[in-house]
Amino acid sequence: MIPHWPFWLGALGLAGVAVLHWLGLGRLMAVSGSFSAFVNRARHREASPGDSMSEAEDELGPRSLASSADALTAAASLPAPRATMSNHAVFLLGLIGGGFLSAAIAGAFEITLGLRSQELAAISHTSAPSGAIPLLAVGGVLVGFGTRMASGCTSGHGLCGVSRLQVGSLAATMAFFGTGIVVSFLLGAIG
Amino acid sequence: MSATRETITTALLGLLLGFVLSRIGFSSWDEVHRMFTFTDLRMFLSFAVGVVLLGLSWVLIARASGATWSPRRLHQGTIVGGILFGAGWALSGACPGIALVQIGEGQLGAIATLGGILVGNWIYAAAHERWLRWPTEGCADQ
Repeated sequence: MIPHWPFWLGALGLAGVAVLHWLGLGRLMAVSGSFSAFVNRARHREASPGDSMSEAEDELGPRSLASSADALTAAASLPAPRATMSNHAVFLLGLIGGGFLSAAIAGAFEITLGLRSQELAAISHTSAPSGAIPLLAVGGVLVGFGTRMASGCTSGHGLCGVSRLQVGSLAATMAFFGTGIVVSFLLGAIG
Repeated sequence: MSATRETITTALLGLLLGFVLSRIGFSSWDEVHRMFTFTDLRMFLSFAVGVVLLGLSWVLIARASGATWSPRRLHQGTIVGGILFGAGWALSGACPGIALVQIGEGQLGAIATLGGILVGNWIYAAAHERWLRWPTEGCADQ
Protein backbone atom coordinates (compact mmCIF):
# COMPACT_ATOMS: atom_id res chain seq x y z
CA MET A 1 0.00 0.00 0.00
CA ILE A 2 1.26 3.46 -0.85
CA PRO A 3 0.88 5.67 2.25
CA HIS A 4 -1.37 8.65 1.57
CA TRP A 5 -0.56 12.14 2.76
CA PRO A 6 -2.76 14.19 5.09
CA PHE A 7 -4.68 16.88 3.23
CA TRP A 8 -2.36 19.77 4.17
CA LEU A 9 0.70 17.98 2.81
CA GLY A 10 -1.20 17.13 -0.37
CA ALA A 11 -2.23 20.77 -0.74
CA LEU A 12 1.36 21.95 -0.27
CA GLY A 13 2.50 19.33 -2.78
CA LEU A 14 0.01 20.36 -5.48
CA ALA A 15 0.60 24.10 -5.04
CA GLY A 16 4.36 23.53 -4.77
CA VAL A 17 4.65 21.61 -8.05
CA ALA A 18 2.52 24.18 -9.90
CA VAL A 19 4.63 27.09 -8.58
CA LEU A 20 7.91 25.29 -9.35
CA HIS A 21 6.62 24.55 -12.86
CA TRP A 22 6.03 28.25 -13.46
CA LEU A 23 9.31 29.37 -11.87
CA GLY A 24 11.34 26.67 -13.58
CA LEU A 25 9.84 26.76 -17.07
CA GLY A 26 7.89 30.02 -17.35
CA ARG A 27 4.75 28.12 -18.34
CA LEU A 28 1.69 27.07 -16.39
CA MET A 29 1.41 23.37 -15.73
CA ALA A 30 -1.07 21.57 -18.00
CA VAL A 31 -0.95 17.84 -18.41
CA SER A 32 -3.69 17.36 -21.01
CA GLY A 33 -1.97 19.97 -23.19
CA SER A 34 1.08 17.72 -23.34
CA PHE A 35 -1.08 14.78 -24.36
CA SER A 36 -2.72 16.84 -27.07
CA ALA A 37 0.54 18.24 -28.37
CA PHE A 38 1.94 14.76 -28.56
CA VAL A 39 -1.06 13.08 -30.19
CA ASN A 40 -1.69 15.91 -32.62
CA ARG A 41 1.90 16.76 -33.48
CA ALA A 42 1.30 16.15 -37.18
CA ARG A 43 -1.58 18.65 -37.10
CA HIS A 44 0.60 21.14 -35.26
CA ARG A 45 3.15 21.02 -38.03
CA GLU A 46 0.60 21.26 -40.82
CA ALA A 47 -1.50 24.00 -39.28
CA SER A 48 -0.89 27.43 -40.69
CA PRO A 49 -0.40 30.25 -38.18
CA GLY A 50 -3.83 31.80 -38.69
CA ASP A 51 -5.67 28.51 -38.64
CA SER A 52 -8.27 28.10 -35.92
CA MET A 53 -7.02 24.60 -35.21
CA SER A 54 -3.56 25.83 -34.37
CA GLU A 55 -5.12 28.42 -32.10
CA ALA A 56 -7.20 25.80 -30.34
CA GLU A 57 -4.46 23.29 -29.87
CA ASP A 58 -1.56 25.60 -29.42
CA GLU A 59 0.52 25.73 -26.35
CA LEU A 60 0.61 29.23 -25.01
CA GLY A 61 2.81 30.46 -22.27
CA PRO A 62 2.31 33.66 -20.36
CA ARG A 63 0.85 36.18 -22.77
CA SER A 64 2.72 39.17 -21.54
CA LEU A 65 5.39 39.62 -19.02
CA ALA A 66 5.99 43.03 -17.60
CA SER A 67 9.33 44.60 -16.75
CA SER A 68 12.08 42.06 -16.67
CA ALA A 69 14.10 44.28 -14.36
CA ASP A 70 12.72 42.71 -11.25
CA ALA A 71 11.96 39.32 -12.75
CA LEU A 72 11.73 36.58 -10.21
CA THR A 73 13.47 34.15 -12.48
CA ALA A 74 15.35 34.31 -15.75
CA ALA A 75 12.52 32.32 -17.33
CA ALA A 76 9.98 34.97 -16.41
CA SER A 77 11.71 37.52 -18.61
CA LEU A 78 11.49 35.39 -21.73
CA PRO A 79 8.56 35.87 -24.11
CA ALA A 80 5.94 33.09 -24.01
CA PRO A 81 8.18 30.03 -24.08
CA ARG A 82 6.64 26.91 -25.56
CA ALA A 83 7.54 23.35 -24.78
CA THR A 84 9.17 21.37 -27.56
CA MET A 85 7.55 18.11 -28.59
CA SER A 86 10.30 16.09 -26.94
CA ASN A 87 9.83 17.98 -23.67
CA HIS A 88 6.11 17.15 -23.71
CA ALA A 89 7.17 13.50 -23.94
CA VAL A 90 9.78 13.97 -21.20
CA PHE A 91 7.15 15.44 -18.87
CA LEU A 92 4.74 12.56 -19.53
CA LEU A 93 7.50 9.99 -19.00
CA GLY A 94 8.41 11.82 -15.78
CA LEU A 95 4.89 11.13 -14.48
CA ILE A 96 5.45 7.41 -15.00
CA GLY A 97 8.79 7.71 -13.15
CA GLY A 98 7.15 9.63 -10.30
CA GLY A 99 4.53 6.91 -9.86
CA PHE A 100 7.26 4.28 -9.87
CA LEU A 101 9.36 6.17 -7.29
CA SER A 102 6.37 6.66 -5.01
CA ALA A 103 5.50 2.96 -5.10
CA ALA A 104 9.10 1.71 -4.94
CA ILE A 105 10.07 3.92 -1.96
CA ALA A 106 7.01 2.66 -0.10
CA GLY A 107 7.99 -0.91 -0.97
CA ALA A 108 4.64 -1.16 -2.75
CA PHE A 109 5.76 -1.60 -6.34
CA GLU A 110 4.18 -4.60 -7.95
CA ILE A 111 2.95 -5.42 -11.40
CA THR A 112 -0.79 -6.03 -11.56
CA LEU A 113 -2.68 -6.61 -14.77
CA GLY A 114 -5.69 -4.54 -13.75
CA LEU A 115 -5.95 -1.62 -11.34
CA ARG A 116 -5.43 -2.24 -7.64
CA SER A 117 -9.03 -1.53 -6.70
CA GLN A 118 -11.60 -3.49 -4.76
CA GLU A 119 -14.49 -1.23 -5.73
CA LEU A 120 -13.75 -1.68 -9.42
CA ALA A 121 -13.78 -5.47 -9.04
CA ALA A 122 -17.19 -5.20 -7.34
CA ILE A 123 -18.58 -2.92 -10.04
CA SER A 124 -17.35 -5.05 -12.93
CA HIS A 125 -18.59 -8.18 -11.09
CA THR A 126 -15.33 -10.01 -11.58
CA SER A 127 -11.98 -10.13 -9.88
CA ALA A 128 -10.28 -10.89 -13.20
CA PRO A 129 -8.07 -7.94 -14.18
CA SER A 130 -9.51 -7.92 -17.68
CA GLY A 131 -13.02 -7.37 -16.32
CA ALA A 132 -12.56 -3.64 -15.88
CA ILE A 133 -10.74 -3.04 -19.17
CA PRO A 134 -13.81 -1.90 -21.17
CA LEU A 135 -14.77 0.55 -18.41
CA LEU A 136 -11.22 1.95 -18.28
CA ALA A 137 -10.95 2.25 -22.06
CA VAL A 138 -14.32 3.98 -22.44
CA GLY A 139 -13.49 6.25 -19.49
CA GLY A 140 -10.14 7.06 -21.10
CA VAL A 141 -11.78 8.08 -24.40
CA LEU A 142 -14.14 10.41 -22.50
CA VAL A 143 -11.19 11.88 -20.59
CA GLY A 144 -9.17 12.45 -23.76
CA PHE A 145 -12.10 13.89 -25.73
CA GLY A 146 -13.53 15.95 -22.87
CA THR A 147 -10.30 17.55 -21.71
CA ARG A 148 -9.51 18.60 -25.24
CA MET A 149 -13.02 19.94 -25.85
CA ALA A 150 -12.84 21.92 -22.60
CA SER A 151 -9.23 23.00 -23.35
CA GLY A 152 -7.90 21.68 -20.09
CA CYS A 153 -8.00 19.21 -17.25
CA THR A 154 -7.41 19.06 -13.52
CA SER A 155 -4.01 20.74 -13.75
CA GLY A 156 -4.58 23.45 -16.35
CA HIS A 157 -8.17 24.33 -15.39
CA GLY A 158 -8.60 22.88 -11.91
CA LEU A 159 -5.37 24.01 -10.32
CA CYS A 160 -3.82 26.75 -12.46
CA GLY A 161 -7.05 28.26 -13.83
CA VAL A 162 -9.30 28.23 -10.77
CA SER A 163 -6.50 29.64 -8.59
CA ARG A 164 -6.38 32.61 -11.00
CA LEU A 165 -10.20 32.90 -10.87
CA GLN A 166 -10.53 32.31 -14.61
CA VAL A 167 -14.18 32.02 -15.71
CA GLY A 168 -13.58 29.21 -18.20
CA SER A 169 -11.64 27.21 -15.61
CA LEU A 170 -14.25 27.71 -12.89
CA ALA A 171 -16.98 26.50 -15.28
CA ALA A 172 -14.96 23.51 -16.51
CA THR A 173 -13.95 22.50 -12.99
CA MET A 174 -17.51 22.70 -11.65
CA ALA A 175 -18.63 20.65 -14.68
CA PHE A 176 -16.06 17.88 -14.24
CA PHE A 177 -16.23 17.63 -10.47
CA GLY A 178 -20.04 17.76 -10.58
CA THR A 179 -20.27 15.03 -13.20
CA GLY A 180 -17.63 12.96 -11.42
CA ILE A 181 -19.79 13.05 -8.29
CA VAL A 182 -23.00 12.09 -10.14
CA VAL A 183 -21.40 9.26 -12.12
CA SER A 184 -19.61 7.90 -9.03
CA PHE A 185 -22.89 7.72 -7.09
CA LEU A 186 -24.49 5.96 -10.10
CA LEU A 187 -21.59 3.49 -10.23
CA GLY A 188 -21.90 2.90 -6.50
CA ALA A 189 -25.60 2.15 -6.95
CA ILE A 190 -24.98 -0.57 -9.53
CA GLY A 191 -21.83 -1.93 -7.82
CA MET B 1 17.75 28.64 -20.42
CA SER B 2 19.64 26.01 -22.35
CA ALA B 3 17.72 23.22 -24.01
CA THR B 4 19.40 20.63 -21.82
CA ARG B 5 18.55 22.48 -18.65
CA GLU B 6 14.95 22.88 -19.77
CA THR B 7 14.70 19.17 -20.49
CA ILE B 8 16.15 18.26 -17.08
CA THR B 9 13.82 20.71 -15.33
CA THR B 10 10.86 19.26 -17.24
CA ALA B 11 11.83 15.71 -16.27
CA LEU B 12 12.22 16.63 -12.59
CA LEU B 13 8.85 18.42 -12.56
CA GLY B 14 7.19 15.40 -14.18
CA LEU B 15 8.76 13.11 -11.56
CA LEU B 16 7.69 15.41 -8.74
CA LEU B 17 4.11 15.76 -9.99
CA GLY B 18 3.83 12.00 -10.46
CA PHE B 19 5.16 11.39 -6.95
CA VAL B 20 2.85 13.98 -5.35
CA LEU B 21 -0.25 12.68 -7.17
CA SER B 22 0.57 9.13 -6.15
CA ARG B 23 1.11 10.04 -2.50
CA ILE B 24 -2.11 12.06 -2.33
CA GLY B 25 -3.96 9.02 -3.64
CA PHE B 26 -5.16 10.31 -7.01
CA SER B 27 -3.75 7.17 -8.65
CA SER B 28 -5.99 4.92 -6.57
CA TRP B 29 -9.35 4.18 -8.21
CA ASP B 30 -10.85 3.51 -4.77
CA GLU B 31 -9.58 6.81 -3.30
CA VAL B 32 -10.98 8.76 -6.27
CA HIS B 33 -14.31 6.97 -5.84
CA ARG B 34 -14.31 7.81 -2.11
CA MET B 35 -13.61 11.46 -2.98
CA PHE B 36 -16.47 11.69 -5.50
CA THR B 37 -18.93 9.94 -3.16
CA PHE B 38 -17.88 12.13 -0.18
CA THR B 39 -16.90 9.01 1.76
CA ASP B 40 -13.52 10.65 2.44
CA LEU B 41 -13.00 14.39 2.08
CA ARG B 42 -9.19 14.25 2.35
CA MET B 43 -8.46 14.51 -1.40
CA PHE B 44 -11.13 17.19 -1.97
CA LEU B 45 -9.48 19.17 0.82
CA SER B 46 -5.99 18.63 -0.65
CA PHE B 47 -7.25 20.00 -3.93
CA ALA B 48 -9.24 22.92 -2.52
CA VAL B 49 -6.54 24.05 -0.09
CA GLY B 50 -3.94 23.55 -2.84
CA VAL B 51 -5.91 25.92 -5.08
CA VAL B 52 -6.07 28.54 -2.32
CA LEU B 53 -2.31 28.29 -1.66
CA LEU B 54 -1.70 28.51 -5.38
CA GLY B 55 -3.89 31.61 -5.68
CA LEU B 56 -1.86 33.32 -2.94
CA SER B 57 1.35 32.25 -4.69
CA TRP B 58 0.26 33.86 -7.98
CA VAL B 59 -0.47 37.12 -6.18
CA LEU B 60 3.00 37.10 -4.62
CA ILE B 61 4.69 36.14 -7.90
CA ALA B 62 2.81 38.84 -9.81
CA ARG B 63 3.84 41.45 -7.23
CA ALA B 64 7.48 40.37 -7.28
CA SER B 65 7.96 39.92 -11.02
CA GLY B 66 5.03 41.67 -12.70
CA ALA B 67 4.16 38.42 -14.46
CA THR B 68 0.72 38.07 -16.03
CA TRP B 69 -0.89 34.97 -17.47
CA SER B 70 -3.15 34.29 -20.40
CA PRO B 71 -6.89 34.12 -19.64
CA ARG B 72 -8.93 30.92 -19.66
CA ARG B 73 -12.23 32.06 -21.10
CA LEU B 74 -15.50 30.23 -21.38
CA HIS B 75 -16.11 28.86 -24.87
CA GLN B 76 -18.70 26.56 -26.47
CA GLY B 77 -16.79 23.43 -25.51
CA THR B 78 -15.94 24.29 -21.91
CA ILE B 79 -18.95 22.89 -20.06
CA VAL B 80 -19.80 19.97 -22.34
CA GLY B 81 -16.11 19.01 -22.42
CA GLY B 82 -15.92 19.27 -18.64
CA ILE B 83 -18.98 17.03 -18.26
CA LEU B 84 -17.52 14.37 -20.56
CA PHE B 85 -14.19 14.54 -18.76
CA GLY B 86 -15.86 14.23 -15.34
CA ALA B 87 -17.76 11.12 -16.46
CA GLY B 88 -14.56 9.61 -17.83
CA TRP B 89 -12.66 10.44 -14.62
CA ALA B 90 -15.28 8.71 -12.46
CA LEU B 91 -15.28 5.62 -14.72
CA SER B 92 -11.54 5.23 -15.25
CA GLY B 93 -10.40 6.80 -11.98
CA ALA B 94 -7.92 8.86 -13.96
CA CYS B 95 -7.45 12.43 -15.01
CA PRO B 96 -4.93 12.58 -17.87
CA GLY B 97 -1.66 12.42 -15.93
CA ILE B 98 -2.95 9.77 -13.57
CA ALA B 99 -3.05 7.00 -16.16
CA LEU B 100 0.72 7.42 -16.47
CA VAL B 101 1.28 7.53 -12.70
CA GLN B 102 -0.73 4.30 -12.37
CA ILE B 103 1.39 2.62 -15.03
CA GLY B 104 4.52 3.70 -13.12
CA GLU B 105 3.11 2.11 -9.98
CA GLY B 106 2.71 -1.15 -11.90
CA GLN B 107 -1.07 -0.92 -12.35
CA LEU B 108 -1.01 -2.06 -15.94
CA GLY B 109 -4.79 -1.83 -16.38
CA ALA B 110 -4.12 1.88 -16.87
CA ILE B 111 -2.66 1.06 -20.29
CA ALA B 112 -6.30 0.69 -21.40
CA THR B 113 -7.08 4.13 -19.92
CA LEU B 114 -4.03 5.64 -21.60
CA GLY B 115 -5.01 4.13 -24.94
CA GLY B 116 -8.49 5.60 -24.50
CA ILE B 117 -7.10 9.05 -23.67
CA LEU B 118 -4.90 9.06 -26.78
CA VAL B 119 -7.81 7.91 -28.97
CA GLY B 120 -10.14 10.50 -27.40
CA ASN B 121 -7.63 13.25 -28.04
CA TRP B 122 -7.28 12.19 -31.63
CA ILE B 123 -11.04 11.94 -32.20
CA TYR B 124 -11.61 15.40 -30.73
CA ALA B 125 -8.91 16.99 -32.87
CA ALA B 126 -10.41 15.42 -35.98
CA ALA B 127 -13.97 16.41 -35.00
CA HIS B 128 -12.89 19.95 -34.20
CA GLU B 129 -11.15 20.32 -37.52
CA ARG B 130 -14.03 18.82 -39.47
CA TRP B 131 -17.14 20.24 -37.76
CA LEU B 132 -16.72 22.33 -34.67
CA ARG B 133 -14.08 24.97 -35.39
CA TRP B 134 -15.25 27.28 -32.65
CA PRO B 135 -12.88 29.93 -31.42
CA THR B 136 -11.26 28.92 -28.18
CA GLU B 137 -9.63 32.29 -27.54
CA GLY B 138 -6.32 30.61 -28.14
CA CYS B 139 -6.36 29.27 -24.66
CA ALA B 140 -5.91 25.58 -24.97
CA ASP B 141 -3.91 24.02 -22.21
CA GLN B 142 -1.11 26.27 -21.13
